[in-house]
Amino acid sequence: MNSDHPLLIVENVSKAFGGVQALSDVSFQLFPGTITGLIGPNGAGKTTLFNLITGIFPADTGDILFKGSSTLNNTVHELVQCGIARTFQNVELFESMTALENILVGQHARTRCGMWGSVFRFPWVRHEEGRATKIAFELLDFIGLKEHALRKSGDLAFGWQRLLELARALASGPRLLLLDEPAAGLNMVETMQLGDLIRKVRDQGITILLVEHDMSLTMEISDAIVVLDQGKKIAQGSPRSIQEDEAVMRAYLGTSPQK
Amino acid sequence: MQEILQYFFSGITNGAIYAVIAIGFSMLYNSTDLINFAHGEFVMLGALTMVTFSGPFHLPLLPAFIATVCCISIAGLLFERLAIRTVRFPEPIVLIIITVGASIFLRGIGMLAWGKDAYSIPPFSTHPPLDIAGAKLLAQSLWILLIVLLMVACLHFFFKKTLTGKAMEACAIDKRAAWIVGIPSKLMVMLAFGLSTGLGALSGVIISPITMCSYDMGTMLGLKGFCAAMLGGLGSLWGSLIGGFLLGILEALGVGFVSSGLKDATAFFLLLFILYARPGGIISALNVKRF
Amino acid sequence: MRVQILYSFFILMVALAGHFISNAYYLQVLTFIGINTLLALGLNMLMGYAGQISLGHAAFYGIGAYATAILTVHFSWSPWLALPVAIAAAVMVAYIVGVPTLKLSGYYLGMGTLGFGMIINIIFREWSSVTGGASGFVGIPALSLGPVSFSSRQNYLYLVWGCVLLCIVLCRRIIDSRVGRALRAIHDGEKAAAAVGVDTQKLKLQVFVLSAGMSALAGFLYAHLVCFISPETFSFIMSIRMVTMVVIGGMASIWGSLLGASLLTLLPEWLHAFSEFEMVVYGLILMIVMIFLPKGLTRGILDIVERSRRSL
Repeated sequence: MNSDHPLLIVENVSKAFGGVQALSDVSFQLFPGTITGLIGPNGAGKTTLFNLITGIFPADTGDILFKGSSTLNNTVHELVQCGIARTFQNVELFESMTALENILVGQHARTRCGMWGSVFRFPWVRHEEGRATKIAFELLDFIGLKEHALRKSGDLAFGWQRLLELARALASGPRLLLLDEPAAGLNMVETMQLGDLIRKVRDQGITILLVEHDMSLTMEISDAIVVLDQGKKIAQGSPRSIQEDEAVMRAYLGTSPQK
Repeated sequence: MQEILQYFFSGITNGAIYAVIAIGFSMLYNSTDLINFAHGEFVMLGALTMVTFSGPFHLPLLPAFIATVCCISIAGLLFERLAIRTVRFPEPIVLIIITVGASIFLRGIGMLAWGKDAYSIPPFSTHPPLDIAGAKLLAQSLWILLIVLLMVACLHFFFKKTLTGKAMEACAIDKRAAWIVGIPSKLMVMLAFGLSTGLGALSGVIISPITMCSYDMGTMLGLKGFCAAMLGGLGSLWGSLIGGFLLGILEALGVGFVSSGLKDATAFFLLLFILYARPGGIISALNVKRF
Repeated sequence: MRVQILYSFFILMVALAGHFISNAYYLQVLTFIGINTLLALGLNMLMGYAGQISLGHAAFYGIGAYATAILTVHFSWSPWLALPVAIAAAVMVAYIVGVPTLKLSGYYLGMGTLGFGMIINIIFREWSSVTGGASGFVGIPALSLGPVSFSSRQNYLYLVWGCVLLCIVLCRRIIDSRVGRALRAIHDGEKAAAAVGVDTQKLKLQVFVLSAGMSALAGFLYAHLVCFISPETFSFIMSIRMVTMVVIGGMASIWGSLLGASLLTLLPEWLHAFSEFEMVVYGLILMIVMIFLPKGLTRGILDIVERSRRSL
């Protein structure tokens, strides 16, 4: 599995906000077709790292390489085009739009009809629209919400909203999928279903970086784990080795490193 | 040199007025996240009420002054109670239209009450203008500067030293947190409205001797006060003060050296410039403490 | 299919109005409703769908009107030649202004567009050698196309409402497409829209430019209808009136724009009866509608109907 070139390389990345060093000198690699769990106590810099990878703001120093090229100068939507998709910690669906429309917007990066196309409705536009709708229904089927395609996304149950957001991220046809606490607010059954879905996504060859506080889920589905604490990477390895790592224990149990 | 000084004097006079209006805007924005497009109309009401109190009612200057500011503050409170608090979905766009509606309404009231004529009152004192290096500084200008400085000192004292002022500041920083520690945030919002419209009235009163006051004077004054607030940093009282003076002086110099036709444009050019270059204003309210 | 019926009904109504109404005043009011609908429609694309407020849109209306006035009077161009130039001028200004302005959001965007509108209005007023200054621009020619003269009020009504229909079709097609979905996505959440690959900056600019073009078209029609323009028509008050049309009618609703434009055109006409109280009543109506029906009349009335049906 690790024989391929890494899909994403994070290289000595640092980021400070004012006087607060959110990330310092973090490096790791993601290999194609794997699930990597990114864990750490609150304030460890996980969300900052997500925002750096998706291009919301640039790193102060260091570099991020996606498919071998630097992403530092790319905007958010360009990176989506390159194949990086994400979900948000607090579900951010387009609430006034239907579930179907949400997924159609999700395909924005891989469709191309512009102003003129929409005004004149050329044959290729209609063709594209039909194909997009077909894909959208397939994705809705994948997450099990096909019957609710025409309901407003804001009206769906919370657990379904999480799934819909996942499907919307998949709709852009990503190579790399970043999930920001996808199980937050879900009950146990829903969390298990989510775990299955994430595995299925991985089996389609999509690389996943996962931030999750639900340790049993993270440890169960991840192929590798990266642990951050106070902006630094303190451990990396298989789930089993992480569970036995002393530095990780200290970070989580709160004993200071000096003792 | 003399010419520049003359422009400068007229600039700080107008600037002081813009500053008061801007502070009114900023204070309200701080406590309510609301931009009151009707603010200029309260300036107009202040000026015209002053005209009535000191003219037909023959009140002496100081009682007329105080009565005007009180009346307009009460009008401001009524406005908050009737038009703002009743809004069910206080989104910016809805509030913008409500305050714009209020502005049209108040202008209509002004026209009904005072007609379309323009009024003016005699200056606060009849001293001859001061002669400084050949440039003339009107006694009224001195009054204006004096009153504005006094007002700023009072506001500073209010926000720094009194419990109510601190409670308002707390509300401005985080309404929910203030509510949790037991500050009556609704009352604070009302207070902010009263203060803000009172400040509007104050600026109306102090310019009533040097300008022709009529029902349609408010809109432009309000917009310029707004530009001044943006210039200094929306939400920062010191910024608004500086922004007001800066706008006044630059406008006067613009009139003097470019063209009087562009007088009104100066404010808006400055507004666009500051928005593009430094949206937080000169004193960025985003970083600096709000008061 | 339903859409076709709606369009046919629309055409029928306009044709009937033009055929049976001969009173010049009514025809004029109807024509103004059409022009205001164009304005509201353009701004609704920006405000209702893309969620970006503009308090300076009267500037584009003015640019359309002044551009055609200058070209047809000073340079004796044919109005039909001046039309694309007028629209192009507004589009170009919108592009130049939009690039920095649309980076702002919320109140700051409102203020930026307001400042821009004021500056353009001051230019109309002060550049008197070209624009006629505060006293206005006289002698704009009436429109005619070969043997068809649009100086007759009926024909002008058809022309204006033809343009309205065209723009309605245009807007509907944009909304029901990939672009329209992306627009609504920006409205719901700009951050999330960017995260699914929407180039929010570019799209906002495109819509800004589109709405500027539609406003310029309205300005062109206005200038050749009344043959006299003055800066007053394109002032801050007009910008606000445009925003009001959109909001009262209902954001993100095409037929709402039509409703809002009709009401805001008719209201001052009705309020003439109040003579001196006109402004007071106008202001009051604005406030009351916004306080009680903040989603606009279309949505508001639908909500009330639904509620009463539920309670039955």
